[in-house]
Amino acid sequence: MSEQLKHEIEAEVGANKILVYGKGTKDVPRCGFTLETIQFFNNFGYPFEVVDVLENMPKREALSQMTDWPTLPKVFIDGTFYGDTDVLGPMAEKGELQTILKNAFGSEAPKTTIQLR
Amino acid sequence: MIANDAIVALIRETMPDAEVTVFDRTGTMDHFNIGVTSAAFAGKTLIQQHQMVYRALKAAHSDGRIHAIELTTTVAE
Repeated sequence: MSEQLKHEIEAEVGANKILVYGKGTKDVPRCGFTLETIQFFNNFGYPFEVVDVLENMPKREALSQMTDWPTLPKVFIDGTFYGDTDVLGPMAEKGELQTILKNAFGSEAPKTTIQLR
Repeated sequence: MIANDAIVALIRETMPDAEVTVFDRTGTMDHFNIGVTSAAFAGKTLIQQHQMVYRALKAAHSDGRIHAIELTTTVAE
């Protein structure tokens, strides 16, 4: 894995409280799971960023090595890797995710009605 | 493409006690719903549990036999 890619990823993760590496953009998701993840975070109302790595195979490989996670999307919250909605969904049902997000942003979710999956 | 049995075998290589259910979501043998129950998940966070399964299936992901997985993990009682 190139050091440059690793630094690029670390900088992106550090610059965004919620960061999604996915296929396609927020406006034009190009994968059902990426879309699902965008909708998932839209439900909370906190700002989040989506980085499209669909065509960037070296970066996808670097991300997989760094996270021990082979698939996209990959979600980072406050610098910590949380996998995808298969992990985040159950965490939200238990209320754990809400606590993590509240601590990351220092405030309650902007949206009060949270519809899960 | 990978057969359901082969997925079960890969997971049991690292977690011999694992109860594994595999459902081919698309009929194309590369998009799966997988459920894994194992005592090896005890004391692990959900993300760690999922990483354990993904590590077991790493080769099948790397060579493209598996495209996508919806994964559910459960700690065996």
